[in-house]
Amino acid sequence: MTVTQAPQVLPAPVSPRRNFWRGVARVLRRKPSRMAGVAIVGLFAFLGVAGPLLYPNPLPRDDNALYAAPSWAHPFGTDFEGTDVLALVVTGTRYVLLAGLATAVITVALGTTIGLLAGFHRGRWDTVLMRLTDLQLTIPGLPLLLVLSTVWKFTSPIEMGVVLGVLGWGGIARAVRSQTLSLRERGFIEAARGLGLPTRHIIGRELLPSMAPYIAMNMLIAVTGAIYAQVGLFFLGVLPFDANNWGVMLNLAVFGGGALTSAAALPYLLAPLLAILLLTLGIVLVVDAMDEIFNPRLREE
Amino acid sequence: MRRLAAIAAMSLIATATACGVGSSAGSGVYTTVDGAKQIDATAPINPFNPQGNTFLGYDAMTLAWPKNDPVDRNRFYPGLAASWSATPDQGEVVIHLQPDAKWSDGKPVTSEDVRTSIGLAYTQGGTAYAVDPKAAGSAADVRVVDAKTLKVTQGASKSNLFLRNVLSTVVVPAHVFGKLLPPGFWTTLKTARGTGPEAEKAKAQVTGLAQKVISFAPAEDVSAGPFVLERVNPGEALLVRNKHFFASRNIAPERVKVLNYTGNQQIWNYLIAGTLDSAPFTATPSGVLNRIRQTDGNEVVKGFSPVAVSLAFNQTRKPYDNVHVRRALAYLINRAQVTKVASPEAGTPAQTTTGIHAASAKSWLGGDGMAGLDPYRVDPAKAAKELEAAGMTKKDGRWLKPDGTPWRVEIHVPASFSDWVAAAKAITSQLNDYGVDAAVLTAADYTLYLDELAAGNYDIGFWLMALGPSPYNIYQRIYGSANGWQLLAGRLTRVPPGTQGNWMGGPETVGGVNPGALTNRLNVAGPDEQRRIVGTLAKLTNEQLPVIQLYDYVNTQFVSTTRYTGWPRTDSDVLRLPAGVWMQLGMIKKAGR
Repeated sequence: MTVTQAPQVLPAPVSPRRNFWRGVARVLRRKPSRMAGVAIVGLFAFLGVAGPLLYPNPLPRDDNALYAAPSWAHPFGTDFEGTDVLALVVTGTRYVLLAGLATAVITVALGTTIGLLAGFHRGRWDTVLMRLTDLQLTIPGLPLLLVLSTVWKFTSPIEMGVVLGVLGWGGIARAVRSQTLSLRERGFIEAARGLGLPTRHIIGRELLPSMAPYIAMNMLIAVTGAIYAQVGLFFLGVLPFDANNWGVMLNLAVFGGGALTSAAALPYLLAPLLAILLLTLGIVLVVDAMDEIFNPRLREE
Repeated sequence: MRRLAAIAAMSLIATATACGVGSSAGSGVYTTVDGAKQIDATAPINPFNPQGNTFLGYDAMTLAWPKNDPVDRNRFYPGLAASWSATPDQGEVVIHLQPDAKWSDGKPVTSEDVRTSIGLAYTQGGTAYAVDPKAAGSAADVRVVDAKTLKVTQGASKSNLFLRNVLSTVVVPAHVFGKLLPPGFWTTLKTARGTGPEAEKAKAQVTGLAQKVISFAPAEDVSAGPFVLERVNPGEALLVRNKHFFASRNIAPERVKVLNYTGNQQIWNYLIAGTLDSAPFTATPSGVLNRIRQTDGNEVVKGFSPVAVSLAFNQTRKPYDNVHVRRALAYLINRAQVTKVASPEAGTPAQTTTGIHAASAKSWLGGDGMAGLDPYRVDPAKAAKELEAAGMTKKDGRWLKPDGTPWRVEIHVPASFSDWVAAAKAITSQLNDYGVDAAVLTAADYTLYLDELAAGNYDIGFWLMALGPSPYNIYQRIYGSANGWQLLAGRLTRVPPGTQGNWMGGPETVGGVNPGALTNRLNVAGPDEQRRIVGTLAKLTNEQLPVIQLYDYVNTQFVSTTRYTGWPRTDSDVLRLPAGVWMQLGMIKKAGR
């Protein structure tokens, strides 16, 4: 009797990357609001990239429809020149997002680097870098920006992002330093040091991945902070005039159109406000999903 | 029972409150805002202090009140002066004070009060009271003729603005402010009006008193006006009737409440709530204006305002040194559309560029004078010819500079002037339509804007002009210090373009005409010569376009007929005077009487 042994069928190997994306999909499906968040952020990203292509340049104006009421043709009415307000919001998305992203990248890059170096090396490094951080934290951002705006015109969103980023990295640096101080005492870091691995490897390959989720979430939150800051500056009228900038729109609606006093310019005020609200909401919902994706304890729950 | 009592008490309070709100005229309160300044409760009760808690027309009085005439600057309503006379060259002005004028503490208003006020005005300098003996239109001698008569003599360098400036003197009580002038002040002043080291020393002594005068804080208000300040807090100033006022029978309100505001929005909200009995000119968008009109009793009164706004060029910068470029821009700008977008309620499109407000231009230039000017109607074909004459070329639908580099028109405006921002945006949209790359750049505030403009950092900026009714003041905005003509020690000098505030940088002469010298001549010329000079300057301005006149302002004011009546009508000559003067003239009556 010959026993024929059936060949053992092994399950197809699943790559960790594929597992990760499955987990992401599962986390997103668990709460519809997270799907909505991704959709909103996706929509704004699309508008940022393709928004200006959707409308003619320059945007059409209608002298007979200044501050026109909402209609099918103009869902959010028109502005003081008779330009469609929705078109202004859509074409203005690129500046806001670019400035927000530039701010977030610089904030996170500076904050993370300084926090990691200070926390890992401790001693003199820590003292110098943290005093530098304290100094940065004590600089009043808004008044400084108001003064800077008198000499610097911030015509490109990257310039805006650089300045906001340079003024906003202190909080992240402090938080990353705290995390680093905690992690550096853990066994895996001890082991890495015991193996004589170089500092660059320990920081780049051991510490940084452990903090990546935290940093990524901070980056998204920094985008919302940057949006508020830049829109606020434009609203105060201290930055260059650009009719489709959301902050400029708010400024003109309130001070030029009297939107807080009469209903005529109200849609002109509400459109950029809604855009800011929606974008912030989208980012917050995505951050909620990221929290669960990166936090094993939450995932188990 | 207790509940019933509480309900009854609440009803009483509610009734009392309702009465209080609805019948402020019954209680004699007149509510307004001061268009000239916001309230600073810590400021002294001192008209020499820019933030001082005195209110012109209410508790601060001048000798006379100028009428809002488009042309004649020498027409006045009486103030503390009952009458006045001047020699034809205005070399000597005699003032007769109101015989019954008294201060709120019962003391009579005398010539000595006026003399002291003039002495204090000298410490501040300017207008008729400059220490410099060569300054045009400066008073050389102030002589008390009797208790109610005063004679003021003009110095050698005469100005036909002298009468107006003397009658605009704010009069303060000598028994309160007199101690600010040290003994021997008038001798020092006389020395200061001479030359040499002694004069310089005396000059420094006189002007050295400026800060002391500005910071002087009397314990209480002593007013010769219809009201006297009772109290002031950060939200409002309350003035009560001055029972000693010489025309007290003309005054209807018992009290005046001057409300503070932080911006136009607050004034709009006061008007919508029906709180204000009158409000001075306030920039108001159409939607808000319609909302204000919906409030019961609110009315809008419009009148002549000798102010226009223009696009001014820095001619030290290329390509704006070329008149063809300036003319091309004038042919591309649709002024009617700009006005519709920027200031539909408080502006009328400029008929053309003359340097003068349209209402004044008719009187100064007449129909024939206006007909000879280029109206600069929108005409892209003419604009293209002008640009080609300037050596510019068009490539891919965009105009390039003569050297082939892209031409970008940058228009600067202060961010806080919403109508200017809207106008600048409308202009850039129009220019972009015609292939001229144009953008608006804003300055954070007006002070910074003027500094940058004066430093020559802008190519093109918005500029207030036509500040009449004096023709000298009108053309001084175009051919004055901003364009290099400076009047120093009575002598007109020309500073090089790009230096000492000469940011307009226009040529000193055009076709043999020196516009700065002609403007200066307006100071002393008689009516016929003035008319000839104005005609020449208007034509020159129209041809050379150092500025492009965009729209002329309309003085838009608000009144409420709910509690008071007798308001000035449209185009009334009192419209630019404070409502306190309307009361003095007996115009304002309580409603229903």
